[in-house]
Amino acid sequence: MLTQYLDERTMLFPDRVDGWRDAIEQVAAPLLADGAITREYVDAMLTSIANGGTYIDLGYGIALAHARPESGVVRTGLSALWVRPAVLLNDEEAHPIRLFVCLAAADSSAHLAALAQLGQLLTDEAARDALLAATDPTTALAVLTAGEQS
Amino acid sequence: MTKFLAVCSTGLGSSFMVHMNIEKVLKELGASGVTVDHADLGSVANGDADAVFVGRDIAEAAGHLGDVVVLDSIIDLDELRTKVRDAAGRHGVAVQ
Repeated sequence: MLTQYLDERTMLFPDRVDGWRDAIEQVAAPLLADGAITREYVDAMLTSIANGGTYIDLGYGIALAHARPESGVVRTGLSALWVRPAVLLNDEEAHPIRLFVCLAAADSSAHLAALAQLGQLLTDEAARDALLAATDPTTALAVLTAGEQS
Repeated sequence: MTKFLAVCSTGLGSSFMVHMNIEKVLKELGASGVTVDHADLGSVANGDADAVFVGRDIAEAAGHLGDVVVLDSIIDLDELRTKVRDAAGRHGVAVQ
């Protein structure tokens, strides 16, 4: 289910990320490019974070960037961006982020199966560490695939 | 029936993950008689649930919701285990 959304095209390992705003722009880019979201959705995420929305920090350096379905989601999608070194979410010291996952939920139920699987993966310490340590889409995909089978 | 509610700003991202994990922890604890759901902060009123689980960042905004349980991390199962057990105790839910 996760690999239906997260694949070699939507998992990004950029050489350079200039702060949290650039991270959001970069992680949203594949969803924007294939029409899953509109520009409005990217702006909604940026605004939400800038207004103190650091609740998207799940812990362990992982952020789940998202906004409301009505803020520009065309269809459900997920993308991910690995950031080295970490960037500070909303420039706040308390929120260093190494992995941004961007969630675009077309309605409040379509994304639940994928999100449930992601939640399960991220609460498993070994899988979480392996995912954070991934250096390219192939290794990340291997972690996701193993998670789907367990 | 006791109700635990996971709440976040949008009601569809982190609150759902917390919802799933609360169910997982309750099952581990052998607790029964607890329903779990998730919602966005704007649609929840005091009294909607016996305990409301939120991330640290909206702790203040959720302060009016009664028994508010603040989580340092959304995906730390050990923390959640402790806090769900405590909440269960406060609301008379038997756990193993």
